Amino acid sequence: MGKPKPDILQGTLDLLALRTLVRGPMHGYGITLHVQRVSKDVLRVEEGSLYPALHRMEQEGWIHAEWGTSENNRRARYYRLTEAGRKQLLTEERNWARLTEAVATVLQFA
Amino acid sequence: MSLLSRLKGMFQIHRLERDLDEELRSHIDMRAADNVAAGMSPEEARYDAQRRFGNSTLVKEETRAMDIVGWIETAGQNLRYAWRVLRRSRGFTMVAILTLALGIGANVAIFTVVHGVLLRPLPFPQPEQLVRVYDDIRSSNTHDIGMSVPELWDLRDHAGVFQDISFLFPADANLTGSDHPERIELLGTSATYFTMLGIPPQVGRIYTSSDAQPGFSDPVVISDAFWHRSFGADPNVLGKKIRVDGDLYTVAGVMPPDFRHPGRTLAADVDVWATAGLTADPFPLPVSRASRYIPGAMGRLKAGLTLAEAQAQLDNFVAQLSRQFPDEYPAAAGWSIRLVPIQQDIVGSFRTELLVLFAAVAFVLLIACVNLANLLLARSASRQREIAIRLAIGAGRSRLIAQLLTESTLLATISGTAALVTVFCLKSSLLRLAPADLPRLNEISLSPGVLLFAFLISIFTGVIFGLAPALQTARTSQIAALREGSGGSGSSKHQMKFSRLLVASEIALSLVLLIGAGLLVRSFWHLLEVRPGFEPRHLTTAKVWLAVPNNPKENSYFTPEKRAAFQREVLRRISAIAGVEQAALGTPSSLPMEGKHAQSPFAIENRALDSERTPVAEIASVSPSYFSVLKTPLIAGRFFADSDDTHRQPVAVIDETLARRYWPDSDSDAIGQRVRLGVPTNQNQSTAQNPWLTIVGVVGNIKSDGFDTASAPHIYRSVYQAPSYAGVVYLRTSADPGTLGEAVRAEVQQVDPTIPVFGVRTMDFIVSSFLAERRFAFELLGIFAFVALLLASVGIYGVMAYAFSRRTNEIGIRMAMGAKRTDILRMALTEGTVTIVLGVVFGLSGSLVLTRFLQSMLFSVKPTDPATFATIAALLAGVTLLACLVPAHRATRVDPLIALRHE
Repeated sequence: MGKPKPDILQGTLDLLALRTLVRGPMHGYGITLHVQRVSKDVLRVEEGSLYPALHRMEQEGWIHAEWGTSENNRRARYYRLTEAGRKQLLTEERNWARLTEAVATVLQFA
Repeated sequence: MSLLSRLKGMFQIHRLERDLDEELRSHIDMRAADNVAAGMSPEEARYDAQRRFGNSTLVKEETRAMDIVGWIETAGQNLRYAWRVLRRSRGFTMVAILTLALGIGANVAIFTVVHGVLLRPLPFPQPEQLVRVYDDIRSSNTHDIGMSVPELWDLRDHAGVFQDISFLFPADANLTGSDHPERIELLGTSATYFTMLGIPPQVGRIYTSSDAQPGFSDPVVISDAFWHRSFGADPNVLGKKIRVDGDLYTVAGVMPPDFRHPGRTLAADVDVWATAGLTADPFPLPVSRASRYIPGAMGRLKAGLTLAEAQAQLDNFVAQLSRQFPDEYPAAAGWSIRLVPIQQDIVGSFRTELLVLFAAVAFVLLIACVNLANLLLARSASRQREIAIRLAIGAGRSRLIAQLLTESTLLATISGTAALVTVFCLKSSLLRLAPADLPRLNEISLSPGVLLFAFLISIFTGVIFGLAPALQTARTSQIAALREGSGGSGSSKHQMKFSRLLVASEIALSLVLLIGAGLLVRSFWHLLEVRPGFEPRHLTTAKVWLAVPNNPKENSYFTPEKRAAFQREVLRRISAIAGVEQAALGTPSSLPMEGKHAQSPFAIENRALDSERTPVAEIASVSPSYFSVLKTPLIAGRFFADSDDTHRQPVAVIDETLARRYWPDSDSDAIGQRVRLGVPTNQNQSTAQNPWLTIVGVVGNIKSDGFDTASAPHIYRSVYQAPSYAGVVYLRTSADPGTLGEAVRAEVQQVDPTIPVFGVRTMDFIVSSFLAERRFAFELLGIFAFVALLLASVGIYGVMAYAFSRRTNEIGIRMAMGAKRTDILRMALTEGTVTIVLGVVFGLSGSLVLTRFLQSMLFSVKPTDPATFATIAALLAGVTLLACLVPAHRATRVDPLIALRHE
């Protein structure tokens, strides 16, 4: 195994997954593809961390899972954003903004 | 995720796992498919897809942990928090646990009985195939007239519905051979009896068809109790001889301890089973269809045959027989055979009673739940700030509801455990409350079914009483609650309304229970007022049984004259016992309120057969002194005389009910008329028939079947003309029945030392045992109703007290402004009255619907008796009104200055 592509920053996986689901219900594989494509291959979602995260968020009530059929006729588990999930997304986005702003400030200051 | 789906999750771990497997597989499939599309070989594509997961087991483990640990963690948190909350408010917790433990305990106790008696299948293989077989006469609505031997054979060989059928002949028997004769309970059966029931013996063997003999067969089977009593549980009992009614039998087997004959016996559990072919002595010969001396039969239906199908086939068969033997089965009589599932036959009227009691305890539990719901509501008001803060810092409402429900369920589970332990410890004393003739009493136990019930009902209770307050609380608007905090006067109007609704429903539930109990109490009073037609006080009875050896030559009482002579001598001797004013003697059916009094068909001379329903009456033979000893009045004609013996014309005395029914114009019209016992047949028939009996007297009615049934018609015969082997002696005396029994035994054994005397009891005792069953139902229902009344009063008191304490401030202002104490009281009265009236209206309408289920337990009271309804409603309204005036009164006594400052 070569050097892995930059892993997603600790704690941002939830944010990315929730944000992806704003576009509509999607299965786990779809989420990895989406993140990878939109970030132009910079960000890569590890399968090993994605599923525990999805199931944890389901327990929290942020997302809701249902079996469905994928575009090429495969059974897949689709995740949908709940109302609580939307609120959570707002919080996380705000946190993220604060964080990046803080990091940027530090970088400029130094 | 709601609590419910979490619970579901716990039971669906397997499904969760399957889901997860499939989810990961679908991911890998999709990736692999895309890889192939990008130009990889299929193997490479799949390998790459899998590789990206790294250690797939680990991923699965981690993901699954999220699912399961997720809810366990939350549940654990909820539980720990609930525990802390409950421990913080000890007073509330204690009250709640006591109330609930009472409610759940009563339910568990009654369910234990319901389970043991009604629900649990009888301890036989395929018990649903076992049926009792009854002969009825449909035209006069007479049940269980007994069966004749040819009918038994027809059913066995030609009916085509039974795998096996056995006659049942419960009998008294004399066990002789030891120091003194002992009366035992014998059950005569067909040789197929044990194979039909399908229960093996614990020692030795059962009798089977190969033992069949025309008369009684030698091998007998004994019960476990008899084995212990008579043989000290000797393992070498097999082959030992016992002398029963003068004949020797060999013990072939011992039944297991929990084996009971599934049906009626004479007085106790069966001691000895014997089999007979009914075609040799001592049975009446030749066999005839008119001689219905077999008391009953039991059968096992063919496999796969439902009860309805079997009954339909049997109806056809009976119709066919009736065509074949028109003389024995006149169409007018409407002879029929009825199958009753054995379980239903055993449980009988107790079914309704137990179900009513079960419903009653369920009501009590509901009331307890409503009370607690109210308490929780009141408490939630003081917890509102806590809740509001939790909401504000981001707790989801569903999480909050789950939290509150965890609290109530925890409470209920603790109470359930306490209740279960209490019931377990008190089990034997509780069972002593049950009437002794409750069927299957020995099968009542705290089985796994009961434990499951206790568990479910605890959870259910917790959800029921916790749900409404939890929903109510979680609706709290954060802002309002935070602001409200210390309890302003106008607080949560909505919540007060809700509490009042709860109290109203509580009043309604209690009213239904109280009215039910009231109806039963009135029935019982009516029962006590019924004049039984005899004077039970200072009357002692005892039973004797003349042995019936199989060989008539060894039977010293074979002829009626011999039996009559024995009875005359016994009567002469016991009349002379010191302290006995007068003595009498009769057959077992002359003893009122005990055992079964079968009605038998009879014919009246010169009355057409088809013009009316077949006449039936209870038949008993009695000595001339019987009516004066029982203090039953003579209405016309004469009592029997000592001279009415087998040398004179056969005579009969009838009772008023019979006289009024067939000679309605005047009681004395019956005198001189003739009746004949047995199913009426064509009168010019030449077959052997019972003799015509000339009616010589009419006497008052005796309520032989108990206080609550209409008087059955009776035909009495002179005991010197129709003496039986079984006898009951009656002694009018105020002497102690204990010593009297010994005196009677001594006198009887002076006449014949092999005759046991048993069943010595006062008539008062017999009457009160008869009433015990009724008493059981109404006492228990009465207790439940009283508890309900108490809970409802406490409930309304609590709500009013709470309402007024929150309004101390307002009352202070009103009083300061010049409101008088009476004004405040009036205000409280108006508010309470609305709630109470609402509850009473609901309760009355509920009762109108529900009391009809009590119908069969009521006696000369209608289920909708207006007097009971009105009295009980007024009583309940009064008590609850008082409960709401007390807190109001207290509120007015507060110094307005303090009230104003009250926060």
